[in-house]
Amino acid sequence: MRPFTYERPKNVPAALALASKFAAKDDPPTEADAQFIAGGTNLADYMKLGVARPERLLDLNGLSEASLRQIKITDKSIRFGALVRMGEAADREEIRSGCPVIAQSLQLAASGQLRNMASLGGNVLQRTRCEYFRETSWPCNKRKPGSGCSAMNGFNRQHAVLGTSDACIATYHGDFAQALIALDATVEIEGRRGRRTLAFAKLHQLPGKTPNIETNLAADEIITAIEVPLGPWSSRSRYLKIRDRESYAFALASAAVALDMDGDTVREARIALGGVATVPWRAGAAEDVLKGKVLDEATANRAAEAAFADARPLAFNGFKIELGKSTLTRALLETRDMKS
Amino acid sequence: MSDAKNHSGLSRRMFMTGTVSAAAAAPLLAKSTEAAEPSPARSAEPRELSAVSMRINRQAYNLALDNRTSLLDALRDHIGLTGTKKGCDHGQCGACTVLVDGKRVLSCLTFAVMAQGREITTIEGLASKDGGLHPMQQAFIDHDAFQCGYCTPGQIMSAIGCVNEGHAGSQDSIREYMSGNLCRCAAYPNIVDAIVQARDETRKV
Amino acid sequence: MNQAAPTPKDNQGDPVVRIDGRLKVTGQASYPADIATANVAYGVLATSTIARGKVSKLNIEDAKAVTGVLDIVTYGDMDNIGKPKFGNTSASSIAPLHDRTIFHDGQIVALVVAETFEAAEEAAMLIHADYEDEQPSAGFESKGTKTEAAAGKNPMLKEDPKAGDFDAAWANAAVKIDEKYSTPTQHHNPIELFSTTAIWQGDQLTIHEPSQNVTGWKVELARQLKLDPANVRIISPYIGGAFGSKGPMTARTAIVAVAARRIGRPVRCVVSRMQAFGTQTYRAETRHRIRMGAGKDGRITAFGHEGWEVTSRPDPYVVGGTSATARMYDYGSVLTHVSIVHADRNTPGYMRSPPETPYVYALENAMDEMAAALGMDPVEFRRINEPAKEVIGGKPFSSRSLIKCYDEAADAFGWSKRDAKVGSMREGDWLIGMGCATAIYPTAVAPCAARVRLTSDGDVRVQCGSHEIGTGVRTIAGQMAAELLGIAMEKVSVEMGDSALPPAPVSGGSISTASVCSAVMQACETVRQKLFAGAVGKDGPLSGSGNAKLDMADGKVGAETGKSAKLADVFKAMQVGAIEEYAEFAPKGSSPEALKKLYAGQPEFHGGEGDEDSVKYAFGAEFVEVRINSYTREVRVPRIVGAFAAGRIMNTRTARSQLMGGMIWGIGQALHEATEIDQRHARYVNRDLQDYIVPVNADIKQVDVILVPEVDREVNPAGVKGLGELGNVGTAAAVASAVYHATGKRIRDLPIRIENLLA
Repeated sequence: MRPFTYERPKNVPAALALASKFAAKDDPPTEADAQFIAGGTNLADYMKLGVARPERLLDLNGLSEASLRQIKITDKSIRFGALVRMGEAADREEIRSGCPVIAQSLQLAASGQLRNMASLGGNVLQRTRCEYFRETSWPCNKRKPGSGCSAMNGFNRQHAVLGTSDACIATYHGDFAQALIALDATVEIEGRRGRRTLAFAKLHQLPGKTPNIETNLAADEIITAIEVPLGPWSSRSRYLKIRDRESYAFALASAAVALDMDGDTVREARIALGGVATVPWRAGAAEDVLKGKVLDEATANRAAEAAFADARPLAFNGFKIELGKSTLTRALLETRDMKS
Repeated sequence: MSDAKNHSGLSRRMFMTGTVSAAAAAPLLAKSTEAAEPSPARSAEPRELSAVSMRINRQAYNLALDNRTSLLDALRDHIGLTGTKKGCDHGQCGACTVLVDGKRVLSCLTFAVMAQGREITTIEGLASKDGGLHPMQQAFIDHDAFQCGYCTPGQIMSAIGCVNEGHAGSQDSIREYMSGNLCRCAAYPNIVDAIVQARDETRKV
Repeated sequence: MNQAAPTPKDNQGDPVVRIDGRLKVTGQASYPADIATANVAYGVLATSTIARGKVSKLNIEDAKAVTGVLDIVTYGDMDNIGKPKFGNTSASSIAPLHDRTIFHDGQIVALVVAETFEAAEEAAMLIHADYEDEQPSAGFESKGTKTEAAAGKNPMLKEDPKAGDFDAAWANAAVKIDEKYSTPTQHHNPIELFSTTAIWQGDQLTIHEPSQNVTGWKVELARQLKLDPANVRIISPYIGGAFGSKGPMTARTAIVAVAARRIGRPVRCVVSRMQAFGTQTYRAETRHRIRMGAGKDGRITAFGHEGWEVTSRPDPYVVGGTSATARMYDYGSVLTHVSIVHADRNTPGYMRSPPETPYVYALENAMDEMAAALGMDPVEFRRINEPAKEVIGGKPFSSRSLIKCYDEAADAFGWSKRDAKVGSMREGDWLIGMGCATAIYPTAVAPCAARVRLTSDGDVRVQCGSHEIGTGVRTIAGQMAAELLGIAMEKVSVEMGDSALPPAPVSGGSISTASVCSAVMQACETVRQKLFAGAVGKDGPLSGSGNAKLDMADGKVGAETGKSAKLADVFKAMQVGAIEEYAEFAPKGSSPEALKKLYAGQPEFHGGEGDEDSVKYAFGAEFVEVRINSYTREVRVPRIVGAFAAGRIMNTRTARSQLMGGMIWGIGQALHEATEIDQRHARYVNRDLQDYIVPVNADIKQVDVILVPEVDREVNPAGVKGLGELGNVGTAAAVASAVYHATGKRIRDLPIRIENLLA
């Protein structure tokens, strides 16, 4: 691991001041000399692997702003401070009952220990677990732009079928983000140039030609909060995660679903897909299929077809299209059958 | 970079010779029973050692550590508490589980400098002073909840965390919330039985 | 009820708790990397990133410049050291630092030694090799591999078993199966990381390293380092899981020893999880073709089993599981052939039931297919083909309780409630499948030495250079002594895992309990005879009872007449404080050199199919229920039942735990485990526990182990058949059988994954 200096700023302005002092403005946060750490579950792993190489580590756990550690629940929204830990959020009874998709997406991720460590702000920024990205001896456009993609023609069973580019097919493995993008969450961001609120859907960037740039964050910005609007769909919501083993594994396919129903008819559906795409993936085409329809197995299948219409399979991950569709179908039917 | 400065006044070499064991290391470790140093650690140079204070098993420790040293390596190599195990060093196996301020976390993905001022509990800190085992330890023996024993300290710390978090209500819940601790000997059913037995008698640590 | 402590049945010992349980739950059990070592320096390996070629230049300057780096051991530094030899004690003949040829991905190119782990690791990552690389061959699918017949290339498979006229029987069979099966590369992945700590004191070398074979390693390491074996000591008191991975010594051990000698300080090298994939051994991928012919009555008339196994370029590693499959049932004729395929890979090694796991998987899958083709119940089909003698050599089985195992397991499982029709059982959206398969493992035993000391205070110390890898052998050795000497377990201590102790064979092949217990029995028997003589002697407390039958119990020597004497009084009469006996056990049929070979670290194995009088195997039957989601097709295993008969069970607690662990391994092999290889580069891709999937707690629900009573006095003096490996044989086939029952899909390639089951 590259040696680094360690600082523990006392509040957000101090953290931003340090970041802007040491991070070149145009560096993506993942390549900046100064990088923030909260839970460390992703960054410490990647530092050990030599994938992340910060020269300065800015520990956010000393920030004094109380709101960073609070969950505020009103009739209209849930607001998560960015330093709230995954486990704490997953265990909140109001969230489990009032917006199950959020609690489930957190609870089905990682392990009990990791959920106690990982912050919500850090969780949504977690980097791909692509095996070729993780190991520095392989060429990788995300790690080293222009070096090539080893996964494209390699062992790509876990790789994405949606949102890929010729430069990168690495999957976004997070679960929470799928619930957030489905529910039109927003993120609050603070930086040296001020505060801004961003639709969660705009936080991540498709790999395109620059897979090393993963988000719209600058190196001297931090997420301070995530806000999830609540509505008639919130309580009838579900996260279904399909994986090789029962727990402690990344999704091969997952679906975050929230339904606003009028009897058997869908007023509005909110759908996101995990394990199959390069970024958190809102399945708008599937939502359109469902709107105003009676939700039965045939309709669910049509929605699933629409969701994967643009999917691009490779040698080992073609099954994810079939699996992704059945995951969404199953999730839709199970969500329909929830008592609300 | 052979002239790395050492502001802690504790030479690296001296420090290394002090890692023989907890007992042998004691004269070289600035060990005190005073409250942990509240001010955050910081280092101006990447290779400079940072002063880190934490309480481990109710005992205060002041250490001089490379910023890169994980809490796991600090426990094992610098303090001599080798009960906490390294199984993957990447947060994938759970063998390094310890309690930090009462919550179970992975010590391999925790930089020791970030544990400044925290209260750490390891497997060595569970048994009472008279040698009486924690109910979870006794339950692991009773139910043969291990074979090789290597993942066991992590399993036990995680099990205590699982119970304290309120996730040990049913066998299925225990299975799910204990899934971050791999047991390659596969004592899983026995681990679940042990946790059920200890659940009601486990005191909070 | 405590499921962990089954009530002993006939010929089964008490579920005594583990003698080292307290140490293990308090963190006090010291695994080799835990040993406090003064002034230790840290070693980190640098490994190759190609699988075939030559290192033209190794760039180590940046690494050397890292603060705290003490030394880098690389090409040229091992020239005066003997090269490893491929065999039972050495994993491979590949000598990574002796020449610049790269034989496989992840081959050691240097060892960096530094003051701190962090510095060593930083420096190792800065080492870069320039290669003259060549196109490697990854395995079966690749061009450029070399295939050869395995028989005779390796002691594991002297010849291909055969019997009768297979061709004629196959041609005439009424019902035929001709199918191909495969199993993937798997890595042991014990949770303990591999490590070596080398400490020199003058010309004496101490190695702390997790080992299943301290005596063999002592001799082999001494040979490599050109030392007197008396000056080498291997210490491995606790081993954090082994499963075969710590049986053979790898090239690293000598390299770390050389580094420690060069810098004049102890060196500890803990190998990263990733680097273990290339620097240790693994279970090679296998392929199988099985031809099975049967009459309409269900009798198997023809059995053909061809196997292919991957190995490295230089080493003829082979497991040759046809030895067991050819003797499993009452076949009318048998034809087998095993080939090895040399590729640009590290040399494979033994992994829990090395031959049986892949070969019996193929056989039992074929058995299930044949039962289906015959329209016969799979249990009934096996009953019909139960042999009186094994068909290859015509020898009897020393004991064989397979059908009893099937009956007990079927009953406990509720097999009679299974609707045989494929796809007929369902609960909501979950398809239910039930299947079964046979487990078999050869019963072997090897020479072993042990020392037992009994003091006048009734303290017993047992010493034996065997290895506690989690099997419970330390507990069982103590239990055996406690029982024979009539002493409570609390008064017994057992020392193991040190080459300075009386030598024991490698803890592999499920031989430890039988071998160690036979030696401990022998030592205890001599102690008893001495005590008995003292007790009944002229000045003895039982003087005059010379003709009575004597025994030891409750800290006393007792005669059948009812008279007894306290141990202290017997010792007092004998005027000694302790009796210590050193026993050398050699199994029946041992060669005259058998004991000499034990000390040389090359113990003879007896039993299995190698003995003159009979073939010796342990058997079991496993039943599995699977549930498969009708939409998303993930497979879950809510319950598994196994019944096993393995002669005398020393301790029902540790026996059940081992068998249960084996069965769960089998579930992992069926559904989870595979090392993936980038075929273009012959490189392992999923080199960690994130992507190398093993079962977690949530995968395992109900596991029932039935210990079927069995008496076998032929196998060894202790009457013990090993069972550490038995449990995971057949499991994957039982899962495959259940998956077929649920879905109608016959999956012949492991692991069975979602993509195999999607419509």
